[in-house]
Amino acid sequence: MDSLIYAIDNFLNYISVVGFSKLLRIFWFFFFFEMFRYIIVDFISLIFIKIKRFSNKDKREAAIKQLYNEMPLVSILVPGKNEGKHIFKLVTSLKEQTYPHYELIIVDDGSDDDTELICRDLKKNGYIDYFIRNNVRGGKASGANTALRLSKGKYIVHLDADCSYDRDAIEQILIPFYMDKRVGAVGGNVMVRNYADSLVTTLQAFEYIDAISVGRMVASHLGIYRVISGAFGAFRKDLLNRVYGWDVGPGLDGDITVKLRKMGCKIVFEDRAVCLTNAPSSFRKLIKQRLRWDKSLIRFRLRKHKDVFFPDSNFRLIDFVSFLENILYALVLNLKWYFYLFDMMFNYVEIIGFILTMNIFLYTLSNYFKLLVFNLFREKKHAKFSYFVLFMPLMVFYHGYFLRIVRTIAYLKEIFFKSSYKDSWNPEKTSVFAKKMGI
Amino acid sequence: MVTQEQLDIEADVIKFKDLSILHITSPFDFRLYKLVKFDAIIIHFADIDFVSFMVKKIRSQQNPKISLIPIFLLNMSHTSDIFVKSLIDGVIFSIEQIDLIEVTIRRIKARCEELYMAKSISFEAKVINRTFNLLYTRDKKMLQPYPYHQSVIGYVFPELSVHFTEHDETQVFKILEIIEKENLVKSTFYQRIYTCTSCTGGILNYREVCPKCQSSNSEEEDLIHHFPCAYVGPLKDFKNKLDDSLNCPKCNKHLKHIGVDYDKPSLLYTCNECNHKYQDLHVKAKCLVCGQDNDVENLAPKSINTYNITKKGEDVAINGYLSTSVDLDEMKGTISFDIFKVMLSYELERLRQNDNTSNIAYIKIANAGEIYSRIGSDRQKALIAEFIQLLRSNLRSSDFITFYNSSTLIISLNEIPNKVANNILNEIKELVVKLMTRSFKSFEAEIITKVFPLNTDISYELQLQTLLVNCENG
Repeated sequence: MDSLIYAIDNFLNYISVVGFSKLLRIFWFFFFFEMFRYIIVDFISLIFIKIKRFSNKDKREAAIKQLYNEMPLVSILVPGKNEGKHIFKLVTSLKEQTYPHYELIIVDDGSDDDTELICRDLKKNGYIDYFIRNNVRGGKASGANTALRLSKGKYIVHLDADCSYDRDAIEQILIPFYMDKRVGAVGGNVMVRNYADSLVTTLQAFEYIDAISVGRMVASHLGIYRVISGAFGAFRKDLLNRVYGWDVGPGLDGDITVKLRKMGCKIVFEDRAVCLTNAPSSFRKLIKQRLRWDKSLIRFRLRKHKDVFFPDSNFRLIDFVSFLENILYALVLNLKWYFYLFDMMFNYVEIIGFILTMNIFLYTLSNYFKLLVFNLFREKKHAKFSYFVLFMPLMVFYHGYFLRIVRTIAYLKEIFFKSSYKDSWNPEKTSVFAKKMGI
Repeated sequence: MVTQEQLDIEADVIKFKDLSILHITSPFDFRLYKLVKFDAIIIHFADIDFVSFMVKKIRSQQNPKISLIPIFLLNMSHTSDIFVKSLIDGVIFSIEQIDLIEVTIRRIKARCEELYMAKSISFEAKVINRTFNLLYTRDKKMLQPYPYHQSVIGYVFPELSVHFTEHDETQVFKILEIIEKENLVKSTFYQRIYTCTSCTGGILNYREVCPKCQSSNSEEEDLIHHFPCAYVGPLKDFKNKLDDSLNCPKCNKHLKHIGVDYDKPSLLYTCNECNHKYQDLHVKAKCLVCGQDNDVENLAPKSINTYNITKKGEDVAINGYLSTSVDLDEMKGTISFDIFKVMLSYELERLRQNDNTSNIAYIKIANAGEIYSRIGSDRQKALIAEFIQLLRSNLRSSDFITFYNSSTLIISLNEIPNKVANNILNEIKELVVKLMTRSFKSFEAEIITKVFPLNTDISYELQLQTLLVNCENG
């Protein structure tokens, strides 16, 4: 204990000796980018969001009233393969919804398990309105488009079969459409159901709180929100029809959001519309998932939708900023981090121990700040924030090292090998054409 | 072949040797009461529906002289009516061929003379009697089902079904159940049918219907999936107004080769009534008898069997069938034969635990057929009831009685020595003879009784069997 106090004392003494200017030189990466974007901007935005919510209270009440007066039909689309085991839980959580006027369309994309039997039985018992069985797998996009073709609702809600939803989730995700007529799509708030299962799920749970619950609230407020999660998103059907639905994945949820943004629609995030999902329970599964997710940044931002960067008749500054922010923070700074590491190794090799310790200290401190302060701005929570307190120091390694390395591998694989087109998540027959067409 | 000279044709009557045959050539010649005077009839009439009507009418008559009369058709070899086919005795192509049917007429006549015309207690017993009489006189050994579109069940047993109108046809199965239970026939599986849940009709129209509005007015269409852009839609979305080629409405690409750039992953039905789109067709079975629309999962399965007549059945055909086990089960003061067996097993078990003696006995009216044939069914029932009352008043309440058949009763006389049981039976025998004499002045009933002490070392089944064999032979 004494030695720990001694080490901390030494560390703090060293900081005071080094001085602020040298600290900035060494930790510019943290102060100018990470702290600025993810602490200061987020914090200020959250304050504005809070104020806006308070001032819009009546407007929101009126929107809820209007929603229930109009009571539009909502089509809930659930495409998937071998999801039979999750369907009952899903339909049960939908049966409990406060918003009653919906039709549930499930598309079985060539399952080779009991999904068809389960769904047919549920349909017979009135839990499912439409069930379409595709004998041959066509991919998630074709499944979603099949469901879209059958849907009759004014709004489309896209769900993942392995998720469950808060009782008011559908109602909450519809409200933004009635608060602002320019809203074309709304993203739901995805939280981790199995956060207590293992270390990897706990770390992901906090990551979801940070990046999704808070991160997307801020992104939405700033107008740069760009990924409506496939697990929970609502769309105006007329707009989906105008873009002919989803394109070949993986990454189709981000792709459809960008397509709608490019049409000039307002895309917003609704943190009060809560969906629970099971996060990957092992690091191996997590790596596989993240490699798939991260590749889509290169595929969709830099290739398919690169026109966002070029000034033409469809150019919109906000889309440009949204993409730029995404590429800067996710790609450029991710690669820059390696240069930073080299810089420190060559120029400050004698104090590398201090730098690493200080890094951990700064990031842990900022994570605690997020956990304690940002948490106050979240209206709906699934896990107690106290559960995460002990895990905060580990978040530095998870987010700063593990995810960064996975992301780098994904980017390199996609940049040099276009490996997203070989991902077995999507059937090869469709990926071949998507690659040929550059989509 | 006979010549016209050998035939004595007078109006509609043909005399051949000692046979007198009615020749019906017009509906006006058909008078049922006239038939008793003839040995056979020949129907020469073009309208097959009327022929069918006549045949059914004749065979369903109560008077055996009419219902069993040999029927032949003249010049009508191609009839598809299963009743006509099954219930006639042959076809000739000219009157000169009358010698060909002579043997058949004489054989049927001879068999009819063998029959003992018993008067049955109930309607069911009467139908069984008449059916077995017809089968026996035609030397038929089985009741065969035939598919028949005019039957509400879809199948008929012509010799039996002829006694029922199409609305009462379900009664046929009740009769079949009785005769099988009483070992008059032995069944063999022939076909399984599904019947309406409302009326047990078997004429069902199976339709694929919309699961929402139950309409069968629907169209099917293939859903096409275009691989490059993931567009999914029905064929009409891809159709080009200019030519026959298919173009994707999303990416404008030309669809080239199924399996390469597009496929048809599923089939979709659209209801023309409610516009509902679905894949899982509901199959409904509409009953054409009562109109009920049944879910196929709920249809009631029913086995259609063929029924071969047993030795006991043949005996019934000759000696008559007075009452069904159902009729006898309903007699007050008796228990059913099945219950009797259960109680007998308990009694035997009880005897094994103490040193008492119990007995089983039978009382058989050997000439019951002769008695019953003199009186009507209501009087028969009354006589049997009186008979049971007489027994009950001479037995203790702990003794139980069952009918083995309409002329034989089996009694369990519990906890009395064999000698005493014999004495009781002899007293009853005398009383029964007196009862019969009182009822039928110039008639003496022949009563046979026998008492067997129950043996705890032998199973009740074997002891009952011994008693019944003794009864049959006695």
